[in-house]
Amino acid sequence: MFYNVEVMPDRDYLGEFEHLIVLALLRLDDLAYGVTVRQEIELRTKREVSIGAVYATLDRLERKGYVSSYRGDPTPQRGGRSKRFFRVTQKGIAAVNRAQHALRRMTAGLDFIRSYS
Amino acid sequence: MKFQPDSLRPPYYALWLINLFASSEETESLLGDMHEEFSELVLTTGVAPARLWFWRQTIATLPHLFIKSFQGAPWLTAVAVIAGFLLMRTVSRVPETAIFALLPRYRVFENHFSTYVFFSTYGIALGHVVGSLFVGFGVAVVAKRREMIATTALALVFCTLIAISWFASISWRWPVHDAITWLLWQCADPVAIVVAGVMVRNRRSRGQILRCT
Repeated sequence: MFYNVEVMPDRDYLGEFEHLIVLALLRLDDLAYGVTVRQEIELRTKREVSIGAVYATLDRLERKGYVSSYRGDPTPQRGGRSKRFFRVTQKGIAAVNRAQHALRRMTAGLDFIRSYS
Repeated sequence: MKFQPDSLRPPYYALWLINLFASSEETESLLGDMHEEFSELVLTTGVAPARLWFWRQTIATLPHLFIKSFQGAPWLTAVAVIAGFLLMRTVSRVPETAIFALLPRYRVFENHFSTYVFFSTYGIALGHVVGSLFVGFGVAVVAKRREMIATTALALVFCTLIAISWFASISWRWPVHDAITWLLWQCADPVAIVVAGVMVRNRRSRGQILRCT
């Protein structure tokens, strides 16, 4: 008997909130910073998200190499503080693609509206 | 230079709390974002809901800052907390030993009974608080830039032990008044440890600002 074995990268996966953050960054493109990311997730998932949770996850994703960040200019509206913009790296895009594929494979054939609502 | 009215500024103590637990790089983007959303909320919903939102965000953000600070140097923080715990066990015996060595020497019990009562009750308790303050300073200095996480973690350890003892004392049918007085005196120690952490943190922050200017 033979099996097709796909080698899974060690701990190279996205958690649920990490997944949401990377998707928000992809949606926001060049406008992705703390405020817009937080508002985008709140708007689309209808769940209250703290700015601390967003930054904790973004820092973790940056350490994993999935996102990179750069500083913008300080503005008076922000009390003279600068923005920190985020961008998804190639490694991040590969990770989110893997997560999306896994999700699609797991949900294929399930009828959510009829069976689980 | 334009001055904003106080009501249009984010709550002072919420800002102070975030500054205590966040690193200088974190405060730049984190507080900037919170300030920006606060300004928008003041215009759309009014000052009171905006201040409430700021407080909610602060309370929800503090645990993340706490965990992140710990993850930055877990071993150093753990060593500082364990050393603080052991030091506290040693220091906590000192006031009682010292007071009961000195009082008989000066015959305080025979000559000044009220002074004897004061030193053998409040004197020991105050000695504990001063000892806790010194332990807090020691832990904050050892933990370097993670003084708040180390002192808060140590205080939480003592709070847990105090809570266990308090519930045990209630189950032994201590009079409630005595149990509450005991609880208040015991809680003064963890509070003193955190106060020491805040003092060291403020001193270091001031030093950083002076170096930057």
